[in-house]
Amino acid sequence: MKHKILNYLVVCFLLGGLLLTACKPTTPEPEVIPTDVPMAEEFVGYTLAAANCDYGGFFESIVATDKYTVTFNLCKSDPAFLSKMAFVPFAIYPEEWIVSTAGEETRTSEGLEHPIGTGPYMVSEWARGESVTFVANPNYWGEAPKAETLVLRWSTESAARLLELQSGTIDGYDNVGPDDFAVITADNNLQITYRPALNIFYVGMTNTYAPFDNVKVRQAIAMGIDRQRIVDTFYPEGSEVASHFTPCAIPNACDGEAWYEFDPVAAKALLAEAGYPDGFETSLYYRDVVRGYLPQVSNVAQDIQAQLLANLNIKAEIVVMESGAFIEASASGQLNGFHLLGWGADYPHVTNFLDYHFGKDTQQFGVIDPSIHENITAGAQIADPAVAAPIYTAANNAIRELVPMIPIAHGGSAVAYKADVVNPQASPLTSELFAHTDPGGRDVFVFMQGAEPISMFCADETDGESLRACEQVMQGLYGYEINGTAVEPVLATSCVPNDDLTQYVCTLRQGVVFHDGSTFDANDVVMTFTMGLDASSPYHVANTNLWEYYDYLWGLMNK
Amino acid sequence: MTKKESKAAKLDAEGISLKSVSLWQITWRRLFRRKSAIIGMVILGILVLIALTAQWIAPYDPFQVLIGIEPVKQRQAPCIHLLGCPEDQPEHIMGIDGNVRDQFSRLLYGTRLSLVIGLSTVSFAIVIGTVLGALSGYFGGWVDTVIMRVMDVLLAFPSLLLAIAIVTVLGPGLVNALLAIGIVSIPSYARVVRSSVITVREMDFVSATRAMGGNSYEILFKRILPNALTPLIVQGTLGIATAILDAAALSFLGLGAQPPTPEWGSMLGSERNQVFTAPHLVFYPGLAIMLTVLSFNLLGDGLRDALDPRLAHTSG
Repeated sequence: MKHKILNYLVVCFLLGGLLLTACKPTTPEPEVIPTDVPMAEEFVGYTLAAANCDYGGFFESIVATDKYTVTFNLCKSDPAFLSKMAFVPFAIYPEEWIVSTAGEETRTSEGLEHPIGTGPYMVSEWARGESVTFVANPNYWGEAPKAETLVLRWSTESAARLLELQSGTIDGYDNVGPDDFAVITADNNLQITYRPALNIFYVGMTNTYAPFDNVKVRQAIAMGIDRQRIVDTFYPEGSEVASHFTPCAIPNACDGEAWYEFDPVAAKALLAEAGYPDGFETSLYYRDVVRGYLPQVSNVAQDIQAQLLANLNIKAEIVVMESGAFIEASASGQLNGFHLLGWGADYPHVTNFLDYHFGKDTQQFGVIDPSIHENITAGAQIADPAVAAPIYTAANNAIRELVPMIPIAHGGSAVAYKADVVNPQASPLTSELFAHTDPGGRDVFVFMQGAEPISMFCADETDGESLRACEQVMQGLYGYEINGTAVEPVLATSCVPNDDLTQYVCTLRQGVVFHDGSTFDANDVVMTFTMGLDASSPYHVANTNLWEYYDYLWGLMNK
Repeated sequence: MTKKESKAAKLDAEGISLKSVSLWQITWRRLFRRKSAIIGMVILGILVLIALTAQWIAPYDPFQVLIGIEPVKQRQAPCIHLLGCPEDQPEHIMGIDGNVRDQFSRLLYGTRLSLVIGLSTVSFAIVIGTVLGALSGYFGGWVDTVIMRVMDVLLAFPSLLLAIAIVTVLGPGLVNALLAIGIVSIPSYARVVRSSVITVREMDFVSATRAMGGNSYEILFKRILPNALTPLIVQGTLGIATAILDAAALSFLGLGAQPPTPEWGSMLGSERNQVFTAPHLVFYPGLAIMLTVLSFNLLGDGLRDALDPRLAHTSG
C-alpha cells in the first residue's frame, strides 16, 4: 500500500515538473538590479525579562541590543558569570531550530542525537549502543579539525579500554584504571596525560542525628581517619590529600587553615570527652559507583570502616545503596550515619563547591551554621579573589571547626593515548576538544570513554559523558582553554562587565554559521536562554525537562 | 533352594552381605565403593577441618589491614618462599587483596561461612519443607491442594531470581540472603517428602498402626516420616551445593554478605574488575566455591546411588 502511494507521488511529481517546464514564460525574467545603497535589513532584537528579581534567579533580563550585541542584566553580582557561561549546557542553538522544533517530537528525537551547533564537528551518525561518529564542519569559523572524522566509543570496564588501546583499535581513552598506570607508562607505544584533580571525595555526617549532633564527635572523627593512607593505597597518581573542601587550583579554595592532622590518640581522647569513650555503632552508606573522586569505592569504604574501628572503636556497618536512592537520601539529610560522596567541578569557581554544599538551604549535613553560609553568600558577590580572601578564610575555617564533613581526597585521573597522538588532552573539567588533537596524521580519531552519552541535547543534560560529546559540536559565548580552567571567548569576542558585576555586555563573533546553515546573531543567544530559562515559554521543551544546570546555576523564571 | 543359591540371595548386587546389617551400614559400605563419593567426602572432610581450625591455621586475622604493618602493596601477587619469593618478603601464599589484607586467611575463614550457609539454609528449608510436605501428603484433600499450589507458585520462579526479589524486599545482608535461599528451596523438599509420604502411608505397617489405634501424629511422625527420609537426605546433600552457589551469587551481586565479611562470593565480586591485573583475587575464591560445590555434588550423587533400593537387586 505504502509503495503504491509512493509511486503515485513520484509520478505526480515528474508530471508536475514537466508541466511547469512546458508552461515556462518565454519573456525574460526581470533582473535584480543592485541598488547603490544596500537594503538595510532591520534587526529586531529579542528580550527575555523576568517580572522582577523576586524569583531568586540571576537574570533580570537578557537583551539583544543589536545584531551582534547581547546585554545580560543580573539581579545580583556574579563573579563566576563567565565561568558558568563557558559550560556546555549553555551552548547556543539557532533560533530557527528552537522555533521549528518547539512542540514537536523533533527536539526529543532528532535533537537528542543530531544537535545543531556551531562547533568544529557535526554528528554524522549515532549507532546506539556502539558509537557516535562526527565529521568535520565544512563551514567552521575557526581552525579546521585535525582529523576529518571523530569516533566516540565507550566501555564501562577500564581493563577493556586498555585492551582496545593496546590492540590499536582506538587512539585514546578516558579514566585509566588505577592499576593500569604502570602498564601504560612502561609501554613505548602509549602515552599518558594526567588530569588535574578538580574534585573532592568526602565523608559526610548529618548533624541532626546523634551522635553527630555533637561537634566534638565530628572533630574526633576528623582527626581519627588517616587520609594519607587512603590516598596512598587506593588513589592513582596525581591524587592528593584534601587540605580543604575545594581543590586548591581554584582561587580562594584554600584560604584558611588546612585540615586536621591525623592524630588517633587525640581523636580517641576527644571522643571520650564527648561522652563516647567506648565508641558507638552506626552505619556507613555509599553507592557502588566509580567516579574520578572515588575510583575504588568498596575498598575505600572498607578501609574507612576498618580505620573507624581501629582508631576510634566506632563500629560502622556498611550499607550499599542504589545510586538514585542514595543521592536523594543524602541530599535531603536522611542518612543517620556516615555517607561517602564527592563532587566534580562543573565550572572552576569556589562557589561551585561551597555554595552547593554549605548554602543556607542545604540539608545534606543537617543544619548549616550561619558562620559558614553567611560567609559563602558574601564571598559569592565579590569578583576579586584578593578582596574575597578574608571572607573565604572565615568560611573555610568555620567548615574546619564545625566539620559538617571530612574532606578526604582530590582524585586524579588520566587519559591514555597512542604515543603518536599530538596535543593529547586531559581537561580538568573533562571537556576535551578533540578538534585540536592530531591522531598521528590519521584521518579518523577514535576516543573511548566510560559510558554512552545519554542524549546530546545538552542544555538539559547533566551526565559528563554526554557533555563531552556535546563539546565537539556545540559552542557557547565562552569556552574553557585546552587542558585548563581559564575561560576564553568563543562565540563572543568579549563580554565586558560593569563595575559591580551586575551587567555583562557581550559582543558576538560575526560570520558564524550553524550546522543547518543559519547565521549566528544576538537573537539566537536570547532564544537559547529563553528556551532554557523561561519555564512558561513554549520553547521550554526537552528530554527530561528538568533543565538542571539552567535551574541550579541561573535559576528558572516563571516556574 | 541349594546352599549356594541361598548364599547368593543374601548378597546384594555389589556383593555386600545383607545378613544382620542395618540400612545405614549397607549405605555406608556402598558409598565407600564409589570413587567419586570418596573424593567428595575427602574434599568435604578437608573443608570441615579447615572450617573448624581456621583461627589456628590462618596466618593473619582476616580483617587485619596490613598497611604500615608489613611492606606489602594493594593486590600484591602471591609470595611463596618455597617457589622463590625472596625470604625478606612476608609470605602470602594467595597474595594481598584490594584492602591490603591476607587473601589466604580470608579464604580460610570463608570456608567456615560457606559451610554454615549451606547447612543452615538447607536445614531451614528441610524443616519447613518436611512439615509442609508431610501434612500435604498425609491429609490430602484441600490441605494438599493449598500447600502444593503455593509450592507450585514458588517453583514457577527461577530460584535465584526469586531469592533476589526476596532480598530486595528484606534488604541486603547475609541473614536475609540465607532466609531468601531457604525460602526458595522449601518447595523441592516439600514435594519430595509429600511423594514419599503418599507411598508409605498406604503400606501395611501404617495400616497396622492405624488399626491399633495410633493417632495421626504418631502415624505421621513416628511411622511414616522415618521411612520417607531417604530421598530427603539425597536431596538435602545436593541442596547444600545449590545453596552455597546461590549465596555466593547473591554476595557477588552485593546482596548477600556485606564487606568486610570474608565470603567467597563477595570476595570474587569486589575484585571482578581485576581479573587481568590481579587474577589471584578472583581465581582462589572461585576455586574454593567450585571445590565445595563439587564435594557436595559428588557426595550427593554417591548417596543417591547408595540409598537407591533398586540397586540392591540389579547388577549396575
